[in-house]
Amino acid sequence: MLTTTPYLTIRRPSPTTAEFTLTTCPPLTLPLRAALFGVLCLRFIAVLSVIIGIYAAFFSPTGLLPPPIFPSGRISFLDFDLNNFLLHILHLLYISRPGQYLAPLAISLPPYAVLALSALTSYIALFARIHTTESLLVLRGLGIQMSSSVGGGNFFRLGGGTFMKRTRFIPTEKIQDILINEAFKGFEVRYYLVIVVEGEQDVVVCFPRLLPRRKIVERVWRGARGCLYEKDGPVLSAGAGGGGGSHGGNGAWRGGSGNGKSG
Amino acid sequence: MHPFSVLTLGIFVAGYITARWDLVTRLYELAIFAWNYGVVTRAAKGFGVLSLVFLIVFIPVQRLATLESNLHPRSPGSEDDGLMRVFWPTDLPRSDCNGVVVGWRNSALDVLVVAVLEEVEPRRVESALKLGNLLRNAPHPVSRIYEQCGKSSISVLGVSNTPDTVEVDSSWIRVTIAPKQRVPSVTCARASSIQIILFERPLPGRMQYMSLNPIALALGDKHDGFKQDFADSGEEDDEKRERLSKETKRKLVEKLKQHSVIKRIPSPKERALATIVNQINWAWELEKLLQQNVSRIGTRPKRALSVSERVVESATTARDMVLVWLWELITIYVLPVIKKVFVLGLMAHRVVAEMLLRILEWRLRPRYAALKDISATAQQVEIRLQQFCYWPMQYVTLRMRKNDWASVTTSHPDYIRFYNSLWLVANDVIIGMAFGSYIIENAGWVADEISRLLTTYTVEALQSSISWLMGWPAGLKLNTELAAFLGDLFLWVIEYWASCIETIRPMLPRIVLIIGFSSFAGASMPLALFSDLLSILTIHIYSFYLASARIFHWQLNILQSLFHLFRGKKHNVLRNRIDSCDYGLDQLLVGTILFTVLFFLLPTVVVFYLNFAIARMAIILFKACFDTALSCLNHFPLFALMLRVKDPKRLPGGIRFELRDTQDFGATSNDNIPLRQHPSTSVISLQSIPLDFKSMFYQYFQMGNRIRKHYLSPRVALCLLTGKFVPPLNRRNLYSLQYSMLPAKRAGVMEMWDAVNSLPASKRKSMPIQVPILASGRRFPSNYGGGRSRSYG
Repeated sequence: MLTTTPYLTIRRPSPTTAEFTLTTCPPLTLPLRAALFGVLCLRFIAVLSVIIGIYAAFFSPTGLLPPPIFPSGRISFLDFDLNNFLLHILHLLYISRPGQYLAPLAISLPPYAVLALSALTSYIALFARIHTTESLLVLRGLGIQMSSSVGGGNFFRLGGGTFMKRTRFIPTEKIQDILINEAFKGFEVRYYLVIVVEGEQDVVVCFPRLLPRRKIVERVWRGARGCLYEKDGPVLSAGAGGGGGSHGGNGAWRGGSGNGKSG
Repeated sequence: MHPFSVLTLGIFVAGYITARWDLVTRLYELAIFAWNYGVVTRAAKGFGVLSLVFLIVFIPVQRLATLESNLHPRSPGSEDDGLMRVFWPTDLPRSDCNGVVVGWRNSALDVLVVAVLEEVEPRRVESALKLGNLLRNAPHPVSRIYEQCGKSSISVLGVSNTPDTVEVDSSWIRVTIAPKQRVPSVTCARASSIQIILFERPLPGRMQYMSLNPIALALGDKHDGFKQDFADSGEEDDEKRERLSKETKRKLVEKLKQHSVIKRIPSPKERALATIVNQINWAWELEKLLQQNVSRIGTRPKRALSVSERVVESATTARDMVLVWLWELITIYVLPVIKKVFVLGLMAHRVVAEMLLRILEWRLRPRYAALKDISATAQQVEIRLQQFCYWPMQYVTLRMRKNDWASVTTSHPDYIRFYNSLWLVANDVIIGMAFGSYIIENAGWVADEISRLLTTYTVEALQSSISWLMGWPAGLKLNTELAAFLGDLFLWVIEYWASCIETIRPMLPRIVLIIGFSSFAGASMPLALFSDLLSILTIHIYSFYLASARIFHWQLNILQSLFHLFRGKKHNVLRNRIDSCDYGLDQLLVGTILFTVLFFLLPTVVVFYLNFAIARMAIILFKACFDTALSCLNHFPLFALMLRVKDPKRLPGGIRFELRDTQDFGATSNDNIPLRQHPSTSVISLQSIPLDFKSMFYQYFQMGNRIRKHYLSPRVALCLLTGKFVPPLNRRNLYSLQYSMLPAKRAGVMEMWDAVNSLPASKRKSMPIQVPILASGRRFPSNYGGGRSRSYG
C-alpha cells in the first residue's frame, strides 16, 4: 500500500537536459500522507520506548518523584541544570502508564539483551526507509549523473529523509557508450542500462537497486542518447519494441548471456 | 593594352620568327602531320567522353554525399548546436543597475561569468581588458591566472539589465537580474537553448575548492615496488590470483567496449569541464580584483576624506610607524639569529635521524628482514623519524603557498596531511603523558600484574593443559606412552622457561619504568614496546607451536605416502602424479604395519598440536589488537574529520548537479512563442560533494580487507589442518597504511638543507623561488629543481 512498482517520471526543461526519475513512492495523496505520518509516529514511539527501556534497565530509577529541575528551589535561569532537566523529562516518561508497562520488561531481561534489542529497534526506527528513488540526470556537454536515494521525496513530504542520497557524476568525455545489456538474476532475465566508462575497471549500471523492466529501460536509453548526442533534440517516442537494440551489448559480462537483443 | 607595348610585342615576335625560322617550319610540319593522322579528332573525342562521365557520375555523387552528410552530421567540430552554456555564480551581488558581464569564454557558446561590472561602458571594459588595466595591483603574477584557467584572456561576455534597444554583438548574452531574483534570465541571439548552471563560489581564503576527483588524503600508491620485492611466496600467490582475476575482468570490459559502433570525439565543450572547475575555483579572487580596479574605467566618483578622518588617519599612521620601527628592530637583529639556531638544530637532528634510520633499515642480505620488519618498536621509531624528516619539507611547501594566489589548490591536500600528522603526534604525546604518568606512579603494581599474568597464562595454564592432555582428555583414549613422552618434553621446557622468567622478574619493575618514561614520546611508544614484550615473553609458545606443527606435518606426510603404498600406488615426484607401483610383499607388510601404528598415534599428536596452535592464534590476535591501536594513533584522519564537520567544502569529493524546477520543455514548445525570444532554459545548480566517510577511512578498509584475505582464506585453514606453518602477514604490506602519509623515498640531508634555506626572508620579497613540490606524492628527486610552475602543468 505504501509503495508501488517503480515508475518513471521525466523532467525535461530543455531538449538538452533531462532527468529520469524512477521511484517506488506513489503519488502523494491524502490517505498516503496520513499513512506516512502514522509510520513517522510509530518510529517516534519506538525511539521513545528504547530510551525508556535503557533508563529503566541501567539507571535503576527509584521512587516516583523526578529529580528537581531547579535544585535550589527557586525558578531562575541561572539555576537551570540541563542534565537534571533531561532526567526530569525521562523520569516523567518512565512513571507514565506505558512507561510502567515497559519498565518491568526491560528490568527482567539481561542487560546485553536490552542493549541488543534497543540497538536493533533504534536502527530500524531511524534508518529503515520505505521508498527507493533513483534518478539519471543527463546534461548535454556535461555528462550523466546518477543518484540514488533511499527514501523518496523530501522529509516534509513525509516520504522519509533524503540524507542518504548518493550521487555519481560521469563527464561526457569519459562516457564511451550507453547500452542495454541483459543478465540472469535468479531465474529471470533482466535488461539493464549500462554506461561504459573509459579508463575504468567496471561498467556502471544505472538504477542498480530497482533494475526496472525492459520498457522503462528502453525509454530511458532512447531519451538519454537523444539528450546527450543528437543534434535536433531527443526523439520523444516511447516505442515499446522496434529495432532499437543495435547497441545491445552481448558481452558475457557479469553473467550476461551471449545473445544479443532480438528486439 | 597600351598600343606601344603591342607594337613592341609585335616587333619582338616578328624578330623571333625571322631569327628562328627553322624551328617555326618544323612546328608547322608537325601540325600538318598531326592533322593528317587524326590526332586532333581523337583528343576531342576523349575530352567529350571525360566531360560526359563527369556530368553523369561525379556531380550527382557529390550532390548525394553533401545531402547525406547534411542529414547525419558526424563531425564534432561543428559544435554550434545552438546550446548555450552559462556558468553563473549565485553569490554575485545583485542590483538593478545596468552593467557589463565579464568572464571566461571557453568556446563560442560556453561562458563562465566571473563578475558583473556596474555602470561602465562595454567598449571601455573591452579595451581595459585588452590593456590589462583591470588586473592592475594584483598581489601575485597575473600570468598564473591565465595559466591555471587555461585561457589567454578574460573577455566581455555580455551586458546586464540593458534595454533591448541597445545593439550588442550577436555572441553576447543579455542578462536581466533583479535584487530579489535568484536565477538570472539569460538570452543570447545565437542560442536556441540555454543551460544556466548556478554555482556557489568556493572561498579561496578559507581554502575551499571544488574538484572533479575526490581529494587524496594519503600520498599516492608508491609502495608497489616494496611489495614485489619482499613479499613471501604465499603473498605472491594471493597477489597473482588477484591480478589474474583483474586481468580477465579487464579483458571482458575491453570486449564490451568494442561493441560501441561510433567512437565519438568529444567536442571542446565537453573537454572543458576540468578547466571550468579551475575557473570556478578562481572566480572569487578574480572578481575581487576586477571590482577593485573597476574605478579606473568607471565614472563612479571617489569621495575625498573628511578632516576628522584625516586626523584619525595621521594618528594611526604615527602609531603604526613606532610599531613598524620596533618590529624592524626585532626582525633585523633577533629573528635571523633565532632562525639560524633553529635551522642548525633541525639539521643536526636530521643527521642523527639519518643515522638511526640507516641502522633500522639495515639488512644483512637484500632478502632478509630488517630490524623494523621484526619489531614494532623499531617500526614506530622509524615512522616518527621519517615524519620528522618530512615535516620541514612539507612546511617549506606550505610556506610557498603564501607566495602564490590563494586559488591555487594543489597544496591543499598537503596542508591537510601536514596538520593531520602534527595533530596526531600532539595527541599521541598528550595521551602518552597521561598513560606514562600512570605507569610510572604504579610501576610496582603494573610489574606485579604483568608477572602474575605471565605465570598464570603462559606457564601455569600451559602446564595444566598439558597435564590434562596427558591423562585421557575428555574421555578421549590417547596413546598413553606417546602422550606422556610429548607432555614430559614440553613440561620440561616450560619449567626451564619458568626459571628464566624468575630470573627476569626482578628486572620487570625497571622495564615497566622504562616503558613508562618512553611514553612521554607518545602513547604509541609504550604500545609498541608492550607488543614487543609480548612477543618476547611468549617465545616459548611460538617454539612449541613450531615444534608440534612440524611433528604433525611430518606424520601427516608419512601417513599420506604410506596410504598410497597401502593401495599399491606411489607419488611420482617427476610427473607430480600418482602412479601404480609393484611393491614386494615385505614392503607392503612393513608399510601397512607402520601405517596402522602411525594412524593410531595421530590423535595424540593432533591434540598437542591443536593446543599450541590455539595459543599461538590467541597471541596473534593480541598483537593484531596492539597493531590496530597503533595504526589508529598514527594514522587516524582526525584533521580531515574535523574539517568535514567544520567546513565540508574544504574536502571536495567530486561535483553534483541538480536540476532546478522550471517549466517543462513540452509546455513551452506548445505555445506559439518564437524560439529566438525565449530559448528553452534549464537551470541547473552545481554543488561540491563533501568527501564521504568511506573514502576517508579507505586505508582502514583496505587494511581490513588485506587481513581478512590473508587470515580468513581457505589456504590458511588448509595450512592449519595440515600443520604447515601459517606465514604471518608481511609487516610491510600490513602497515602500508602507516606509511601512506610519508613519501616512498625520504629527502636527503642536503636536499633538506637547500629547501630550508630557500625560504624567503619575509613576505614582502615575493620572488618566485624554485622549491621542490611535494604535493600529490610525486617523487622528490625527479621533480627537484623542476620549479613550481612547471609541476602544476
